[in-house]
Amino acid sequence: MWHRSASFILDKNQNDTVYPADSVTLTPPPPSSISTPQNPNPNLNRNMSMSAYYQTRAAHHGVVTSDWLAQSQEAATRAVATGGQEIVDGGKSGRAFSVIDEFNNWRKQPDLAEAVAAIRALAAVIRNSEAKTMMELEIELKKASDSLKSWDTTSISLTAGCDLFMRYVTRTSALEYEDFNSARSRLIERAEKFGEISYKARKIIAMLSQDFIFDGCTILVHGFSRVVMEVLKMAAQNKKLFRVLCTEGRPDRSGLRLANELAKLDVPVKLLIDSAVAYTMDEVDMVFVGADGVVESGGIINMMGTYQIALVAHSMNKPVYVAAESYKFARLYPLDQKDMGPALRPIDFGVPIPSKVEVETSARDYTPPQYLTLLFTDLGVLTPSVVSDELIQLYL
Amino acid sequence: MQFDDQGRVNKSKKRAVFNQPEAKNRVELFRHLPQYEHGSQLTDLESKFLELDSMHPAVYKVGVQYLAGDVTGGNARCIAMLRAFQEVINDYSTPPGKTLVRDLTAKISSYVSFLIECRPLSMSMGNAIRFQKSRIAKLPLTLSETEAKAALCNDIDRFINEKIILADKVIVRHAATKVRDGDVLLTYGSSCVVEMILLYAHELGKQFRVVVVDSRPKHEGQALLRRLLAKGLSCTYTHINAVSYIMHEVTRVFLGASSVLSNGTTYSRVGTACVAMVAHAFRVPVLICCEAYKFHERVQLDSICSNELGDSNDIARVPGRPDVNSMDNRTNEKNLQFLNLMYDATPSEYVSMIITDYGMIPPTSVPVIVREYRREYLLI
Repeated sequence: MWHRSASFILDKNQNDTVYPADSVTLTPPPPSSISTPQNPNPNLNRNMSMSAYYQTRAAHHGVVTSDWLAQSQEAATRAVATGGQEIVDGGKSGRAFSVIDEFNNWRKQPDLAEAVAAIRALAAVIRNSEAKTMMELEIELKKASDSLKSWDTTSISLTAGCDLFMRYVTRTSALEYEDFNSARSRLIERAEKFGEISYKARKIIAMLSQDFIFDGCTILVHGFSRVVMEVLKMAAQNKKLFRVLCTEGRPDRSGLRLANELAKLDVPVKLLIDSAVAYTMDEVDMVFVGADGVVESGGIINMMGTYQIALVAHSMNKPVYVAAESYKFARLYPLDQKDMGPALRPIDFGVPIPSKVEVETSARDYTPPQYLTLLFTDLGVLTPSVVSDELIQLYL
Repeated sequence: MQFDDQGRVNKSKKRAVFNQPEAKNRVELFRHLPQYEHGSQLTDLESKFLELDSMHPAVYKVGVQYLAGDVTGGNARCIAMLRAFQEVINDYSTPPGKTLVRDLTAKISSYVSFLIECRPLSMSMGNAIRFQKSRIAKLPLTLSETEAKAALCNDIDRFINEKIILADKVIVRHAATKVRDGDVLLTYGSSCVVEMILLYAHELGKQFRVVVVDSRPKHEGQALLRRLLAKGLSCTYTHINAVSYIMHEVTRVFLGASSVLSNGTTYSRVGTACVAMVAHAFRVPVLICCEAYKFHERVQLDSICSNELGDSNDIARVPGRPDVNSMDNRTNEKNLQFLNLMYDATPSEYVSMIITDYGMIPPTSVPVIVREYRREYLLI
């Protein structure tokens, strides 16, 4: 799949593009400073638990706290112990390599996607592995991948990223080499390449989508997707004249953050409440969303509210564009909204709710492929039916 | 072959093994499909038993089973035919002055034309025959006769095992993940894969009930109903006229297929398209369960260009109901033609997902599977 990556588009435009000043480095950052705890402790005895995935996103926009770090250490210890590797202490020095620690190190950069962090961590597993045969190495990789996936079972892109990494790396013909070391270095090469492609995916997607944003257009955005942010940032830097309508995105209030970021770029922004989407759909030229995961049918799983917006846009003949990296392609196939694993997020209404009133706390919904127009991925601009094509070829 | 081409029809009649009188009163639109008088066919064939020295008894037996309707269903017919071919190969000995490859291929072709006379081939059988012929053609010339025969029989065993039996197991496991507690599952007619799925889900302990939709003239759903009840599933039985009445309580529809074509169209028992369309109107997901060896490169836009015509008397007569039998004995009237279609084509927009042994795929991905996995045939 990735030998056909559209990364050529990066090389073509290297001279013209101005890279943003806050570009992210590739080495893992030093542990960040500790500050007062702002985020809710997930170990509280509550009836509904917050999905760790959404917790992370909240954490990235807060600060890494000491008890959060302690929990991640605990998770690492638990996961490593069940994986059959050496038990890890709290200390940072003089201890064996642990994939969860590596993962957490990578994850601390707020701009890095979780799946990319996982991919980098798995590549590090290969590098630091002491296995002597290919079979041993594959088993180690599988264990590491399982422990990463169990860290958060509700995150689709994490699961998909790990699975795709395993398929991409282990199907290399290098496995037929006699010499284990050369086979291993080939594996490392492929792993690094996969990490590179996944990391650059956002830039590639941003460049591919520039053709679709024309001067004077109005874009409706839902939810705070870093990929969509990249797209709009690049469009603003290319001096395109457009304006953005963004939904408030309750309960995350992610729309407010997005409006903030766009205002810094001098892009005209208008905030809407979620219910005002149909009201303003007439003046919208296109809808832009990100995706938590892209499923086999070509549909997407994304923040709650995406399905609604896609339905309204479809009935008014407005195109819906999805910006998603290719490592988010998952082997799921939901038939309806309830056919997915649950991901819950507690909602704060600001006033106390009587206990006998139920609240719908699901954090995401499924948008079927017939309501999506195009997918912008690092493999190119695709129609929804191509997702299954790519997955079949990879799992051949 | 198109049966409205009179010259070719006459030519094929001369080579025919047994004499089949053509039906006299035929629908104009379907003249390109074969239709015969069904009354005398079986006795005619049976009387020919001792005269058919060129016919292997196993193939003859399968032919009679097809004609009598004892063996029905794509998988059953395919397996019966392949087992008969296995016996043919085992009993085969190369006549002097001929090569095994050419002679065996010619023999198989003649047997296939006999089977077509008994009942037109289904697409699954067509794919299996193509596989068989390609395996014969690929035999290395250095093999002795016994080795070659053993290799071919082995290939047939592998084909049946991998493409049908194991494939069914994989499909059942995938499909069982889509059955939840409290579901109401609807199925039409009798598909062996769907039956296996329902029984497996029941064994896993899932709580669901089944609606079996049936139709004239074959009433294939009744046998399925009996088998499901024997295993303790709670079932509802209804006729296809009532499918829109019952569809509002249904949560999933499981259908079998005779074949799935390259544009995502499902070719299966007549009535399936109706059920799928009603389900789509009620926004109920439709799941087609089909092994990958039944996929075909052909594209078909309607149910007319390729189909099978059954016996018109089956429609005219309602067994056991003398009060509604006014159509009986009127099959030869000039202004009245009976049409008994066996298959129909369901467009891909009514299908939510196809469950195959390669996983769950959307209907648009069928040509991808055909493209990627056909090569496998050549690499076995």
